[in-house]
Amino acid sequence: MKIAKILIVLAAAVMLGSPSAARATIHDQESTPPAPKADKEKTADKEKKAEKEKKPKKEKKAKKKSNVPAPDEGPSATDTDAAPPAPADQLEPESTGTRVTWKQHPSFRIGSAFRMDFQAKFQEDVRDTYVGEPELARTDLHRNRIGVQGRLFKHIEYEVERELTEKELDAGRNPKSPWKDVNVDLTYIKNAQVKIGKFKIPFSLDQLTGVTHNDFVYRSLGANYLAPSRDIGVMVHGSFLKHGLQYWSGVFRHDGDNARSSRIEGGDQTVAARVTGTPFRVMTQGLGEIELGAAFAISQLSDDSFRPNGLRGRTIMTQHMFYEPVYVKGERRRWEADVDWTAGPASARAEYMGVTDDRQQQGIGDDDLPDARARAWYVSGTWLLTGEKKERPVKAAGDFLQGGWGALEVGARYERLWFDSVGGTDLPSRNPRAETILPTADRALTLGVNWTVNRFIKVQINGIREQVEDVERNPVPGGAAFWSRIVRLQFVL
Amino acid sequence: MGSLKHSWNTSRGLLCALCGLCVLLGSLLAPALARAQDDPAGALFDDGTLHDIRLTISPRDWESLKEHFQDNTRYPADLRWRDVTARGIAIRSRGNGSRSGSKPGLKVDINYYSADQRFLGLKNLILRNNTQDASNMRELLSMKFFRRMQIKSPREAFARLFVNNVYAGLYTIVEDIDKDFLQKNFNENDGYLYEYDFDESTRIPYAFEYLGSDPDKYVPLPFKAQTHETSPRADVIERFIWTVNEAPAASWRQRMDEFLDLNAFMRYLGVENFLAEEDGLTGDYGPNNFFIYRFENRNLFTFVPWDKSNTFWASPDYWIFRNIKDGPENFRNRLVLRALTYDDLRDEYLNTLLTCADSALEDGWLEQEVSTQYDRIRSAALSDTIKPFSNEQFEAAIEDLKTFARNRSDAVRRMVAEERPQP
Repeated sequence: MKIAKILIVLAAAVMLGSPSAARATIHDQESTPPAPKADKEKTADKEKKAEKEKKPKKEKKAKKKSNVPAPDEGPSATDTDAAPPAPADQLEPESTGTRVTWKQHPSFRIGSAFRMDFQAKFQEDVRDTYVGEPELARTDLHRNRIGVQGRLFKHIEYEVERELTEKELDAGRNPKSPWKDVNVDLTYIKNAQVKIGKFKIPFSLDQLTGVTHNDFVYRSLGANYLAPSRDIGVMVHGSFLKHGLQYWSGVFRHDGDNARSSRIEGGDQTVAARVTGTPFRVMTQGLGEIELGAAFAISQLSDDSFRPNGLRGRTIMTQHMFYEPVYVKGERRRWEADVDWTAGPASARAEYMGVTDDRQQQGIGDDDLPDARARAWYVSGTWLLTGEKKERPVKAAGDFLQGGWGALEVGARYERLWFDSVGGTDLPSRNPRAETILPTADRALTLGVNWTVNRFIKVQINGIREQVEDVERNPVPGGAAFWSRIVRLQFVL
Repeated sequence: MGSLKHSWNTSRGLLCALCGLCVLLGSLLAPALARAQDDPAGALFDDGTLHDIRLTISPRDWESLKEHFQDNTRYPADLRWRDVTARGIAIRSRGNGSRSGSKPGLKVDINYYSADQRFLGLKNLILRNNTQDASNMRELLSMKFFRRMQIKSPREAFARLFVNNVYAGLYTIVEDIDKDFLQKNFNENDGYLYEYDFDESTRIPYAFEYLGSDPDKYVPLPFKAQTHETSPRADVIERFIWTVNEAPAASWRQRMDEFLDLNAFMRYLGVENFLAEEDGLTGDYGPNNFFIYRFENRNLFTFVPWDKSNTFWASPDYWIFRNIKDGPENFRNRLVLRALTYDDLRDEYLNTLLTCADSALEDGWLEQEVSTQYDRIRSAALSDTIKPFSNEQFEAAIEDLKTFARNRSDAVRRMVAEERPQP
């Protein structure tokens, strides 16, 4: 909690001291374009620049397909690190009155005072896995989201997004909400913007990458089961040094959708902070861009529920529970470090994260138990065979439906998610009040091909080889490794 | 010198005697030891003893289990019987009508958290709460009588349950019907075991009628697979039920031979109805409370009795054709009805009833058993303050059992005689 207090004080200090800094940042932004960056925020920044540059040479730019932003390229409702859309007066200063346009998205605008962009994201899967998996639906309407985002006057941005088909919406006493990002971002102070509502807790590079921008069909195991994901809260965020240093810091009601389910209550009050930077920007010119990130989050854990309230581990596609939650109480501490490298058509990412949960009075005799611990890492790499510059989302040089080939990319990811306890003298056991938790892990290799057909459509093909290290909790008899295969069709409007 | 020699001879004699005694003791004890090794749980199911079972569980979990007794949530606990302890086992609330928040019936999963863990060689145990039986005794007596009549049934014994060293009531330890049971009783365990699962939500009975050719109409409801869960071969059940209902009369017996030993089935029915089972194969709510097991590499099924807490029902005059010749049409067991149209099977049924009558009366076995078990559990039952019955109700239920045991045989003989044409 000390760290939480320090964070709040720091955030308050940033807010109080921000006007001059804000002016400086605005000046920087206007005078110097932001450094190229592979994710959404960078894309949005570039979009601003492109739009500014485009105005005097509008016709010429329009011919160049690759410069047309993809529909999911703007600040997404799913990306916590997404930058705000360009100020209305910068985008179309000459436009007045009420109008409907369709550039990136269908958009309704009233002069420069109001803007509402309509968005939709559809991801439909065909998949297969090991023989004997009875639960897996071979076809899955995986995600079908609709939403709006936009701006009110110059400095109030908003987004609302709702999932139409997600599972677990009505099961149990603590279901997931169909509402995804529902928030308002106040951008009066550029390096101390304030976001209020429901959005992603700033933790984990992979979790914060937009759902339609991922290099693989599924996020990494750590991002899905250890990182918190969305919750309701207040966050201060901004950037310094021409986006060379960015930060996000907030307080949240709980500890995110990933930590809870219909049977798991999840953590309570959470304080989280994340910082990213490009410290080698000068040194690595010509070698692409390397961005480093780190984050931590601290949550409170209660044992009010009669069911265990710890984290769970499930396999990637089949979601077989290979690690059941244990009873926890006290504090949950998360931390992570990540690196993101992009150079021309290639990219690489790596991330390591850890979580420890207190287990105060959780023994069979109400005794304190050693902390429960979960850790995860992954390394991944991608290569655009068709030569485009790696961005998220990828922009195909030639639209397939207009005579081009789209963009073809290959990728691989290797990862591990594992659970145990910190110490303990008893014999290791799987029971949720065991003093020494019997370690278990899932190790996975994902091989993938992504075909970006055009700005709307992407096809992803992944083969995933998994092996659960605890034989008894492996879904395949004998503890053998198993393959899962999936083809995902993505359509983004 | 002579004294020394005498002493040596004496010692040698003693040594020989000691060796002889050891050999004698060894030969006497060897079979018992072999049996104990064969069946380490035998002592736990010894119904000649009132056992003590001790559970250590987080007090919060115990309260939670009672509060959420309708859930099947498992809680970790330690189990102790005599000096044998199993750590990190799982318990959960169990039962249908017997589920209770004050005195929960318990399923004890010994190997839930560790597949290799065993307790006296067992993977599971049931601690039955007897909340539907004021006497606490119907279940145990019934299963014992089934075994007496050579029908495979779970072993049972009474136990005082202590939870965190606090007396939690009188329970019955029940052997679970699982692969261990199959191995012990049928010398194989890789066949297909199904529990008949009465649909409590709809309470619509399933009376062995043919539901169509779709195997999914039979598994998991009303037949819930207990082995081969991912590949339960419901198609064989579908063909079995089709044969019961649809096979032509001319070939019915021959076709049924593939699926059921009908004579054994009539003996099962005879024993159950001698015991006046109100919630069994021909129960008041449609068929209920049984497992069926299909033997390895065959389509032959056999029935195994389960949950006999509604036996000794009403009075010694409980009719042997209840819900067969009377009762709602849709509750009547199609398999029983069709089998009884054959004279030899009907005779098998009636003869079994007479055999039961003789066996129950032989040296006053049934009444004696009631009295003996009553003496064993009386103190534990009276001090069980959590039971849903008063002590007076307990005593009255025991008296009813004694009356039943004393008079049932004569009543059954009379009813059988009425059924048979007089010479």
